[in-house]
Amino acid sequence: MGEFSKSRSEFLAQITRPSAACRAELLTLTDNWITKLAIEAGVDQINGALVAVGGYGRGELSPGSDLDLLLLVPPSANPDLISVVADKLWYPIWDEAIKLDHSVRTVAQARTMAAEDLKVALGLLDARTVYGDDSLRENLSAQVLADWSSTGEKRLPELRSYVQDRMARNGELAHLLEPDLKESFGGLRDIGILSGIAATGIAEVDQTGLAQAHQFLLDVRDALHLVTKRATDRLALQEQQEVAQLLGIESDDALLRAVSSAGRTVSYISDLTWHRVKHQGVKSRKRILRRKVTESQISDETPLAFGVIVLDGEVVLSETAQPSEDPILVLRAAAAAAQNGLRLHPDTVKTLAIESAIMPEPWPLEAREALVSLLGAGQLALPVWEALDQYEIFSKLVPEWAVVRAAPQHNPLHTFTVDRHQVEAAINSSTMTRRVARPDLLLVGSLFHDIGKCRNRDHTEVGVELMPAIARRLGFNEKDTEILVKMVQYHLLLPDVATKRDPEDDATVEYVADIVQDHDFLEMLHALSEADSRATGPAVSSEWRLSLISDLVSRVHAVLAGDEVLPLPELDPKRLEVGADGDIEVVLDPISSLPTITISAPDATGLLAACAGVLALHRLSVRTATTQTVGNRAVSVWGVTPQFGDMPSTQEIARDLRLILSGQLDISARLVRRREDMFGIGFNYPPARILVLEDVSVRATVLELRAHDFPGLLRIVAQAISAVEVDIIAARVATLGSEAVDVFYVIDKSAGGAHLSPDRTSQVRTSILQALDLNNAPD
Amino acid sequence: MKLITAIVKPFKLEDIKVALEGCGIHGMTVSEASGYGRQRGHTEVYRGAEYTVDLVPKVRIEVLVDDADADSVVTTIVDAANTGRIGDGKVWVVPVDSVVRVRTGERGSEAL
Repeated sequence: MGEFSKSRSEFLAQITRPSAACRAELLTLTDNWITKLAIEAGVDQINGALVAVGGYGRGELSPGSDLDLLLLVPPSANPDLISVVADKLWYPIWDEAIKLDHSVRTVAQARTMAAEDLKVALGLLDARTVYGDDSLRENLSAQVLADWSSTGEKRLPELRSYVQDRMARNGELAHLLEPDLKESFGGLRDIGILSGIAATGIAEVDQTGLAQAHQFLLDVRDALHLVTKRATDRLALQEQQEVAQLLGIESDDALLRAVSSAGRTVSYISDLTWHRVKHQGVKSRKRILRRKVTESQISDETPLAFGVIVLDGEVVLSETAQPSEDPILVLRAAAAAAQNGLRLHPDTVKTLAIESAIMPEPWPLEAREALVSLLGAGQLALPVWEALDQYEIFSKLVPEWAVVRAAPQHNPLHTFTVDRHQVEAAINSSTMTRRVARPDLLLVGSLFHDIGKCRNRDHTEVGVELMPAIARRLGFNEKDTEILVKMVQYHLLLPDVATKRDPEDDATVEYVADIVQDHDFLEMLHALSEADSRATGPAVSSEWRLSLISDLVSRVHAVLAGDEVLPLPELDPKRLEVGADGDIEVVLDPISSLPTITISAPDATGLLAACAGVLALHRLSVRTATTQTVGNRAVSVWGVTPQFGDMPSTQEIARDLRLILSGQLDISARLVRRREDMFGIGFNYPPARILVLEDVSVRATVLELRAHDFPGLLRIVAQAISAVEVDIIAARVATLGSEAVDVFYVIDKSAGGAHLSPDRTSQVRTSILQALDLNNAPD
Repeated sequence: MKLITAIVKPFKLEDIKVALEGCGIHGMTVSEASGYGRQRGHTEVYRGAEYTVDLVPKVRIEVLVDDADADSVVTTIVDAANTGRIGDGKVWVVPVDSVVRVRTGERGSEAL
């Protein structure tokens, strides 16, 4: 062992707690040795400079780090002499068995390399002279920075693709049980990349908590190197206890929670920064296209929901928004951001975290729907969820969440921490919302299926104890609460039975059928099992394993009784008195959480479409609707929420309905334009699904539409049904978050009011799907 | 030494593991498998509902044993895996020339 290695080993051996001070001392020790070597090698003779780049340049030496050194030489230096000096430099380093990345270049050569290789460019941005002529390094730094800034718009997409590849290979630091401190997304590599992005000046990098997370991750890496005596960056389970001890952290669980928290900060800032890079790119192109317009004209300040606007591609609060008086605002803003594929501005999140009024219990309907809508946005919900998590906002809304937040799981089958596992399960569920009759319960049940974890008892038992209070707090009624509790209780039923009991045995199938009781719950449990398996990890989500579950589910469906009979919906007799004189009448009946509008009008083909259209025109979101035909009148009752501000007057609604029915007001173009404004980002929601419920009604054929909701959906569907001469005699509409489950009772007008034949059913189905397609419904 | 390979119904895995542990076998390799035997192409009728069987999910169990233990281990697996119904699976035995335990370098029976 050489002299330097010996003194380095002695220094490392006496470290009792890794820290920034230790790193600074190791850096000084290393710099002194390199300086001595540079003097002995004759760097002065060639007027060169020995420059540290990359992590060594930033002064981030861990015990196992290699040394990135660049011998910078003037163009006039003698090549033979350079070769002699370089040999005298590198050989002693190799002889000490120190890992070395080395190069010898002129400023021009280094600049060319930086232009060709992204990693070289990033490394040179951190160049620092260890010994020699600093003017050479200054010259190089200035040129590399100027090149980097001027070509940023071209090079950042390349860098983004590199980051995405790394994330695909190494996962996310915050949610892995064995994360790579450097390469996982949110790790040390991303902190360096953030500096690189900031250097381009293209996007602002939010600094909140970044320095603290950076220092902590460096401390953990130092401890890991000291414990393993290797230059590994993967924090393997077997090392976590010892690393925690060295850092003075109470347990391996506490260590992983702290690493997760730091990783979350970095990945959140990275994600936001990359979103800004993308948006800034779009904006600068817009500016070129619209060079002649004024600044105010290119502002993209767009209202998104009540109190929520889009400003420069990020979701912020409007000037009139009052978080201290509007407890739902935080969830409304989150849902609106996720549904539109946008990010919440960090200052908005901070304001909401500090100023939001306490959510009343039970939550108002709008709050619950916003949560469902947020989860229903699928992958787009993740960055928004992470933004809320920076200030632990969800733990404030649902205190039980705090226990599972960033909690590790000691199970090799699991990939994610407990909280992220549940969020992933909910996101997976969002792709299966068409398979179930209650997408809202599927999403919320998935989000809480493991809520009983981390409490030192069987997590299912604890979950069953916790879930009733959570469901009631969220405002679910007793029936829905029972379903949610049952989902938590039986979330492992299907995988357990499918893999451990004989599916061909009648007793096995009957055992499951006795528990699930009906098709709807079986479908819900099936979707939850699949979402849960996929969120757990590849070991339990192979197609092989999922096929075992599907086979069991098919067998259970076969033994369950047929679908229940669905009687035609009947309205409260008081509602039927509205418009008894036969004219159009609109009555507003504001009730506790959902304003209700009753519309009575002479029955006519297309009436339901016209009513739905007039409500959409007045920016009312339909949450529920029930229609009934009474003689030659149709009465419909609509539960609605205004998208912005107050309710319109009933006179305005009645006036516009008359105009629509008389053909004097065409609202199609207006609604399409409005929808295009909202759905300009590109979604990947599951496609609409139409179920024909056979033999469930004596009077009509029953069609159930499951689709992603958007303004005017009901109008388009009702119009498509009427367009093929099929009459809607009743309907029951429910919008659950952003998912619509609409049931239509239809009869064949051309066949004298009979049930639809298979051909006519197929015609209606095609008509609806074509109409949705023509209207660019999200799919 | 012999390598015993069993292709069995997935839900029988736990029973087989317990039975093998009972006769002193503590190590095995288990993998997911799909296939079909004589039941190829048939349609199962279950209370009026029909299911077309394509590739049927199975598990593949592999166990290395001494020559002397092979017969009893095969019998143990077969007993544990048997339901008497079609699709119970297959067990086969092949000779093994050499086995090395990677960690210690032990060879032959010592490595089992």
